[in-house]
Amino acid sequence: MFNELDQTKQPTYYEEVERKGYNRRDFLQFVSMMTAFIGLENSAVGQVAKALETKPRVPVIWLHFQECTCCSESFIRSSHPMVADILLDKISLDYTETLMAASGFQAEEAMQNTMKKYKGEYILCVEGSVPMGADGVYCMIGGKTSLQILQEAAENAKAIIAWGSCASNGCVQAAKPNPTKATPIHKLIKGKPIIKVPGCPPIGEVMAGVIVHLVAFDRIPELDALGRPKAFYSKRVHDTCYRRPFYDAGLYVESFDDENAKKGYCLYKVGCKGPTTYNACGVMKWNNGTSFPIQSGHGCIGCSEENYWDNGRLYERASSFAGFGIEANADDFGKVALGVTGAALAGHAVMTNIRKKKLITSLEDEGKQSEHELKS
Amino acid sequence: MKTKYLHVHRLRRVYVWELPVRYYHWLNALAIIALIITGFLIASPLALQSREEATMRFTMGWVRVIHFIAAYIFFFNFLFRLYWGFVGNKYASWRQFIPTSKKFIKEMWTVFKIDILMLRGKEHISVGHNAMAGFIYFLTFWAFLVQCLTGFGLYAAMGTWWLPKMFAWVPPVFGGDILTRQIHHWSMWFFILFAVIHVYLVFYHDYIEGRGEISSMGGGWKFIEEEVFQDEEHHTPNKPTN
Amino acid sequence: MSKRIVVDPITRIEGHLRIEADIENGKIKDAYSSGTMVRLLEEILQGRDPRDAWAFVGRVCGVCTSTHSLASVRCVEDALGITVPPNAELVRNIMFCALYMHDHVVHFYHLHAMDWVDVVDALKADPKKTSELAQSISHWPKSSPGYFSDVQTRIKKFVASGQLGIFANGYWGHPAYKLPSEVNLIGLAHYLEALEWQKEIVKVHAIFGGKNPHPNYLVGGMACSIGIDDVSGINAERLALVEQLMKQGKEFIEQVYIPDLMAIASFYKDWGAIGGGIGNYMSYGDLPINGYKDASSYKFPAGAILNKDISKLHEVDLRKDDEVQEFITNSWYEYKGGNAQGLHPWKGETSIKYTGPKPPFANLNTKEKYSYLKTPRWKGNAMEVGPLARVLVGYASGKPEYKEVVDKALKDLNIPVTALFSTLGRTAARGLESVLVAQWGLEFYDKLIANIKNGDTRMADTTKFDPETWPKHAVGVGHAEAPRGALAHWINIDDKKIANYQLVVPTTWNASPRDGKGQLSAYESSLVGTPVANEQQPLEILRTIHSFDPCMACSVH
Ligand code: HEM
Ligand code: HEM
Ligand code: NFV
Ligand code: SF4
Ligand code: SF4
Ligand code: F3S
Ligand SMILES: [Mg+2]
Repeated sequence: MFNELDQTKQPTYYEEVERKGYNRRDFLQFVSMMTAFIGLENSAVGQVAKALETKPRVPVIWLHFQECTCCSESFIRSSHPMVADILLDKISLDYTETLMAASGFQAEEAMQNTMKKYKGEYILCVEGSVPMGADGVYCMIGGKTSLQILQEAAENAKAIIAWGSCASNGCVQAAKPNPTKATPIHKLIKGKPIIKVPGCPPIGEVMAGVIVHLVAFDRIPELDALGRPKAFYSKRVHDTCYRRPFYDAGLYVESFDDENAKKGYCLYKVGCKGPTTYNACGVMKWNNGTSFPIQSGHGCIGCSEENYWDNGRLYERASSFAGFGIEANADDFGKVALGVTGAALAGHAVMTNIRKKKLITSLEDEGKQSEHELKS
Repeated sequence: MKTKYLHVHRLRRVYVWELPVRYYHWLNALAIIALIITGFLIASPLALQSREEATMRFTMGWVRVIHFIAAYIFFFNFLFRLYWGFVGNKYASWRQFIPTSKKFIKEMWTVFKIDILMLRGKEHISVGHNAMAGFIYFLTFWAFLVQCLTGFGLYAAMGTWWLPKMFAWVPPVFGGDILTRQIHHWSMWFFILFAVIHVYLVFYHDYIEGRGEISSMGGGWKFIEEEVFQDEEHHTPNKPTN
Repeated sequence: MSKRIVVDPITRIEGHLRIEADIENGKIKDAYSSGTMVRLLEEILQGRDPRDAWAFVGRVCGVCTSTHSLASVRCVEDALGITVPPNAELVRNIMFCALYMHDHVVHFYHLHAMDWVDVVDALKADPKKTSELAQSISHWPKSSPGYFSDVQTRIKKFVASGQLGIFANGYWGHPAYKLPSEVNLIGLAHYLEALEWQKEIVKVHAIFGGKNPHPNYLVGGMACSIGIDDVSGINAERLALVEQLMKQGKEFIEQVYIPDLMAIASFYKDWGAIGGGIGNYMSYGDLPINGYKDASSYKFPAGAILNKDISKLHEVDLRKDDEVQEFITNSWYEYKGGNAQGLHPWKGETSIKYTGPKPPFANLNTKEKYSYLKTPRWKGNAMEVGPLARVLVGYASGKPEYKEVVDKALKDLNIPVTALFSTLGRTAARGLESVLVAQWGLEFYDKLIANIKNGDTRMADTTKFDPETWPKHAVGVGHAEAPRGALAHWINIDDKKIANYQLVVPTTWNASPRDGKGQLSAYESSLVGTPVANEQQPLEILRTIHSFDPCMACSVH
């Protein structure tokens, strides 16, 4: 399991030097030579030596498939830790098409190097879904399909992080009719720990938080039944929403920008999906606590939930029947069924009186007779 | 005068629904009605206006509280009925609900022909419920199950007690709360339709048979003609063992 | 004989772009641009609620996040005849400006700078000299010798760790890098600083739209009600935060981005003659100050320029059947009526058919279809869209604001107007319009305050929100000037549902494959003639391609 992710497997520079039979003095000599080589003042020697002695930063390969890159964008918006600190101090982001300097085969080579050098040690992050339609040609990088790349990179990964709704549940491109057969990661890779971090995108600090958890505690965060870290996905937005008192009081925004909206009433009736959405928005909020959808007057659209594009419309509370067109919702069907039932029962009642006339009259006769014959 | 009396059947009083079954039945009916009303309100709340502070009001909170209290009553009552299916009298036995024999199915068909298609034929007399009714109740039990699973599944995230928590696995089966809640909502319609048809049919049977069908859920008694027993004319979906 | 080289993936862009180029005598003779990822959102949108469309198309892109949502709500409002309240328009404008400020700065430092700035060489710089240089070009307070030396030490330690992360395998030391070490160090320091800065400006989106990326929009206005006497909603505190963020953003652009841009550009003036491309430019116009319907009020004027002739501005009409059309001659799609025709987006079709080589492959067959991008044309012409097009159209329209910033930049760099038609011009134009947009953002803010002060607190018109109020059939088009250029969405609504939804996106204009007549689109055309010093390290290709700021998720959608 992940707990074994520690220094033992991947030696630090110092350990490597030591193993080759050099002592600490040799090592320091090597360090000062190297610092001189890259033009560092002497005072920095100690620092460099420390950097080399401490464990290597966790290598990370971050793949991009069918995505909109909002997950990467959200990641760089993290305020604590800031992304520069993550990149320089916490992990070694050896491959990500969005930020890496190298292009083309040099980029591919960077990924290969990490896969070889840190076999079984690197974290694989995946942003985007994998199209399984038409043999995978709907997403190709360097002439390979995304599936080929994913399988290769997953093979020796320590653990996998599925960023965002795309990688965890297929997101918008997997909405009906899912023309490219966009598929989330857990359906393609088995036998590896997969951490799902859904959301479209996930909150930047949540993404950074998952990384920090891995690096700082050397273990996979505790996951819920759907594979999401409990630290961020254990509560419904509805249960952490500051508008909840209005919900409980029965005070709702009836239409956008009405008087109730100005007063900050609950957005339930204009389609808020907070009651069925697990995310940290109500607690952590977005962009370093600036706001979150509900605070800015729009209902939660359920962006971290599986299939949220097809399970009902944005502004309707009524649950619609996916696949029956947008007008059809369960209650309309129910009302029609109720009407039909009522009519059928009325028909049945009429028929009963006609077809079972004999039976009924004989019962009636019997009753009348008794009434008639009884003295009191 | 005397002769006329002879035309009248001698009725035998049969204790069909034991007290626990009657309690169960009405508790169940009340809980379901409460759940449907509050469920509707949860799905589409009324447009209320108030000058009061939100914290002074708990309208929707009460609706949910009632839903959850009714849900617990409904759930335990349901469990109790399952238990009573094994220890209760023969009319309460689980055998009367589950079509395990050819005879059961044949009888359902017979009842269907007489009650629904209204084909002419010999009157079909059951002392407990008839085969078709039994089977419909069997289906309602499945609906009860679906409703309890999805309901407590949704509730698991809010409650702290271990009991609802035991249902925490349910939403993930449907990929999350969204679909779980929709299923919970859709299957409410099954309850509504059942209740309407069921009440109608109870009245219907009382009306055309005159054996005290409606009151039987009150006092427990049905009134069956002596000849029916003498001629062995009554039916039962499955032969009781006891 | 020419030699085919392939760069795939092109990194430091959004999405999946592959360039194949034929090189002869150290120059690119022909180039092919291919988008290799598709999601088919146009198909997914069919049959859905038009009011929900903004959320779906918003997810076309998380980099120019919110632009598609803006184009979408405008498109649906156009179809349903809704005019949004002035406040909603101002809020949308402010969000638009914040997006530009974010997107352009991130592009410059994090996606483009490493084409010009040699990170490894920055380690050789003298922090004291760097500080002097920095202070000579800007008042920005963070420019002490200690500041630069701290950055340098940090990166040195990082390099010494042997784990180079995102800097691994770059083309460091390539002869085309020309900056002095000190300028490289400034670039590197500001790379890190901009990374820290960029997360702030987007808070403007969080305030009005609840989050960023992917803030919420609303057909009929915006969902963020104004409630100046309530703790919920937009009140004085929220507005004060917006103002502060916009001011700080403007400061960064004026004191960091622009001085850096000018300093770097001054060492690469030769790139004012490289990467020009087709010479046709187009802008749909944006930033209305008198309602979206009044195009004459736009801060970004609309128009088209042909053959670099900035003396004549052509009118663009998005509704006309024969103006904007999409072709698929070289794209992996089929049209029912034959693949040779061009379709106006109201009649557009998106029916995928991949005919390329079976992966894994080494080369595309560029004699046949070779991309998932369709090929848009305006009156049959290939057009370049984006910051350069906007600045040129603004310049050609004679608006003084444009004249001012453009002429000043040309004078400072001592280059002629014609140098704008180039890779350098494209990168410079992005900076220049950032300055304008940062100013305008505060203007819109002031107007919003004035409106509220005058008692107008409306934020949405919901009279036509209920589908029952809609006509049986409706068509609409909505446009926006996305950071990367002219964007428009076309919708057909039948029976309250989307019958057809088509997006024609900036990067589709620029990165598309050639058309049936063999006319090259902007990427391909501007690569032709570009020198490539080292085929193994085609830095020059990256420079020109990055100058467009590619967004492939947008382009294919
Ligand atoms: C006859 C049985 C029941 C009926 C007809 C019923 C009906 C409903 C309906 C219509 C809703 C609203 C769904 C929506 O928003 O679309 C609802 C919500 C809910 N029901 Fe039930 N329900 C029943 C039993 C139960 C049971 C046994 C539980 C167990 C705890 C339960 C728990 C819930 C919960 C947790 C919610 C969501 C409430 C919220 O999130 O505020 N229900 N129910
Ligand atoms: C929501 C409303 C109701 C529900 C859900 C309901 C449910 C049921 C169920 C589950 C049974 C089977 C009892 C058993 O053997 O375990 C049953 C039987 C019965 N119910 Fe109801 N009931 C409802 C309303 C009523 C009403 C209003 C009446 C009478 C006026 C009634 C009369 C009866 C009778 C007579 C039986 C036994 C008849 C038979 O098994 O064929 N029920 N009901
Ligand atoms: N091309 C493009 Fe966009 C932009 N700007 C959108 O319309 O980037 Ni994703
Ligand atoms: S999950 Fe959503 S936010 Fe992330 S890349 Fe996918 S579409 Fe964008
Ligand atoms: S606004 Fe949404 S999440 Fe908040 S209380 Fe209302 S329904 Fe729940
Ligand atoms: S829409 Fe997404 S951002 Fe949060 S409030 Fe809802 S989960
Ligand atoms: Mg399109």
